[in-house]
Amino acid sequence: MKELLKRLTLGSAFCCIVPLLSACGPMRVPSGLVYCSEGNPESFNPQLVTSGTTVDATSQQLYDGLVDYDTSTGEMTPSLATSWQLSSDEKVYTFELRQGVQFHRSELFTPSRNFNADDVLFSFNRIIDTDNPYHFVSKSGYPFFQSIGFAELIDDIEKIDDYHVAFHLKHKDASFLSNLATGFAVILSKEYADQLERSGQEELLDKLAIGTGPFRLIDYVKNDFIRYYRNPNYWRLTPEVDQLVFDITPKSTTRLAKLITGDCNVSALPKAGELPVVIEKEELEVDSLPGFNVAFWAFNTERVPFNDVRVRRALAHAIDKENILRAVYQKTAEEAVGLLPPLSWAYSANEKMIDYSPQKARELLEEAGVSDLSIDIWAMPVARIYNPNAHKTAELIQADLANIGVRVNIVNYDWSVFNQKLSQRGYDSVLIGWNADNSDPDNFFTPILSCASVGTNSNRSRWCDPAFDHILSAAKSTADREKRARLYQEAEQYVAEQVPLLPFAHATRMVVKQKSVTEAKLTPFVGISFTKTSEQPHLANDDKESN
Amino acid sequence: MARYLIRRLNLFLATSLVLFLVMFIATGKFPVEHTFALTGLQSPTSQELAQIEQDYQLDSSQAHQFFAYLQQRLSGNLGISATSQNPVIDELTAVLPASFELGIVAGLIALVLGLPLGVLASLSKHKITQHTIMAITLTGYSIPVFWLGLSLSLWFGVQLGWLPISGQINLLYDIRPVTGFLLIDTLLSDSQYATSAFIDALLHIILPAVTLAVLPFTVVVRITRAAMISIMEQTYIKAAEARGLHTSVIVLRHALPNAFIPVLKNLGLMLGAFASYAMVVEVIFSWPGVGAWLVSGIYQRDYTVIQGGILAVALIIIFLSILIEVIHTAMNPLSRKELYAAN
Repeated sequence: MKELLKRLTLGSAFCCIVPLLSACGPMRVPSGLVYCSEGNPESFNPQLVTSGTTVDATSQQLYDGLVDYDTSTGEMTPSLATSWQLSSDEKVYTFELRQGVQFHRSELFTPSRNFNADDVLFSFNRIIDTDNPYHFVSKSGYPFFQSIGFAELIDDIEKIDDYHVAFHLKHKDASFLSNLATGFAVILSKEYADQLERSGQEELLDKLAIGTGPFRLIDYVKNDFIRYYRNPNYWRLTPEVDQLVFDITPKSTTRLAKLITGDCNVSALPKAGELPVVIEKEELEVDSLPGFNVAFWAFNTERVPFNDVRVRRALAHAIDKENILRAVYQKTAEEAVGLLPPLSWAYSANEKMIDYSPQKARELLEEAGVSDLSIDIWAMPVARIYNPNAHKTAELIQADLANIGVRVNIVNYDWSVFNQKLSQRGYDSVLIGWNADNSDPDNFFTPILSCASVGTNSNRSRWCDPAFDHILSAAKSTADREKRARLYQEAEQYVAEQVPLLPFAHATRMVVKQKSVTEAKLTPFVGISFTKTSEQPHLANDDKESN
Repeated sequence: MARYLIRRLNLFLATSLVLFLVMFIATGKFPVEHTFALTGLQSPTSQELAQIEQDYQLDSSQAHQFFAYLQQRLSGNLGISATSQNPVIDELTAVLPASFELGIVAGLIALVLGLPLGVLASLSKHKITQHTIMAITLTGYSIPVFWLGLSLSLWFGVQLGWLPISGQINLLYDIRPVTGFLLIDTLLSDSQYATSAFIDALLHIILPAVTLAVLPFTVVVRITRAAMISIMEQTYIKAAEARGLHTSVIVLRHALPNAFIPVLKNLGLMLGAFASYAMVVEVIFSWPGVGAWLVSGIYQRDYTVIQGGILAVALIIIFLSILIEVIHTAMNPLSRKELYAAN
């Protein structure tokens, strides 16, 4: 007992000393940045996914693509390719590759050579070539590339020499470079892949990632954190911070709390209602960018009665979009008239194509001979950039539809279950959205409404219309912007007539961060970058690129 | 004594067996494919399916299936997590130390503050002191833990900015797990930031541990006080007083060891409530322990994680209750005497 008491006294003394300790000497914190992210990445290879969370955690940090996109000028800029040429028939793109770029080192892998044409060939052949030993290592396929029909587009990828690669296309495609500039088209190391193949550990390629990016992957603990160290041999200016940590925090309020207490420096996806708190705090600020995204309500057109365009139109007319913008987004979004956001060069400010009119809705339903309708709305369980609160949106729609005598049942699942069940097609309608991967207007149509995208399950309306596909392919086969813009307007019009889905908002992208943090910057589409943005490439390269 | 120990061991085994039986029946009732609930494999190949059928004896009688289930679980095969595809046993061993760390620190806080306060309350002749202490403990006892946790993090974390309110440590400290107990690991770490990391980990544990400690603290104070009051009336204490011993000696050497016995017994009884409180606290403070892990498994319908979590938590509670009972018997001459009398 004495012994115990002694220990207790010691313990209590210790407890008193510790706060004092922390008050005396300044705490020494390792140099680094903590980013509170909203979820677990599904993989460490963005080629295999479409989720923004995964792209955030990989594309900008671990990898580089061949080209980048500069939002301020709207032009493509060099990345791993220093320059490129387009042949006169617009079917062959020839890239000159950057020399002296090193891949990451890890415990498993030490690169013996620099980045070259073999890596480019491997990275893209893996996606399109079913004979590639890595093609079927991915169980989820290559959803982004499948939705844009990449395999059908590429005829051949040719290695001219170690630092020149030519992409031969089967047909003209004006969105080709834009698609290469997305966070999905990253370059992997062929040497690493070969080494893993020899040891029979192919699946590690997408887990223990090796890339050329500014950070290298050190450690990942699911539901907890991802740790990156700086890549000391980065070919651009190396990042200023020694390490980068993604603190996986699914709850929005917890992210905000962590930001306030200093456990993280930058925090993802704040809810609109939380912004006043951030503005109140002197040391915090909100970073925002107009979003390249659209939130919509998609009808499963394979199902009765949604296969009837009059029913879809009726439901669309019944929705008060302004109300949704007010209640769900609290003025952090713009009302959508079509799929394209105002930022896109193909956007034109048309009149509202579908106005709010319960009267019209009732008439249309009557005309279609539908009465006593009861439908399910599936609402995403998590906040996404385009829709911070799908459940609330569903409730508003429920109230709107009650006005025209349609009953609504809101369906909720946890995110992974939700995704699985969505692919099984058993839904009436779903509240979801799309976040663009690049600046090309095509990105708002082909991946979510083309016939090809029905097969990859990114077409949530399960809507396939050859006439619509025809407009899209016409728009892709020309490089003339004016003509393309006209065609995309036509496509918008077509969507507004057929209403496979009802777009309602373009949300603003936001992160909240400590003012002292200058390294973090939202990238225009998906993703956030943690390297200084004013940097110039190490190897000054003034080659003129033709585009 | 040996017979007594064997009987306790029997009790442990029997209770665990019942627990496994309940889990076995529940697993059969999960609204998913039976093989998925058992192993976590979403779409097993025919080869894997045959293996599962063999492992779990799926084509035999229920009794056989139960023993096969028992065999798999006891050999450490808890299946894989459907969401992360990692073996559940690995995830479990990764999260358990954090829970133990939180529990031990909270328990220590409760004892270190609770015992002296209880003694003080019993010795004090002032009605005001007594009533204040009792009022405080009664309040503490009746405050719901989720409200307390949120309020503490609001005051000390968000408004005052004194203490971190989430997680175990600032993630910039790259601490390699050795024991799994972060407070120890930071001290063992050879990083140049080890001391800072230790202090940071300590600051992180304060709020969750205090929140969790409130319930056992109030219980310790109340039981200690009640026990001390009755013991101080005993004749051997009067005799000690008559011999002229100092009050502190009487309390520390003669009264407190005896007063500690009912405290220990009540701590054992409280384990279940303590564990469920710990889960709530872990969720509130994003503490990466078994509770937060289990709750996220429930949200994601990760049936293997749910089974593994429940099994682990329940087994630990059963084991610790029996352990505390054994210690209680060993410490308490009265119950030892009963033991011999019964034999």
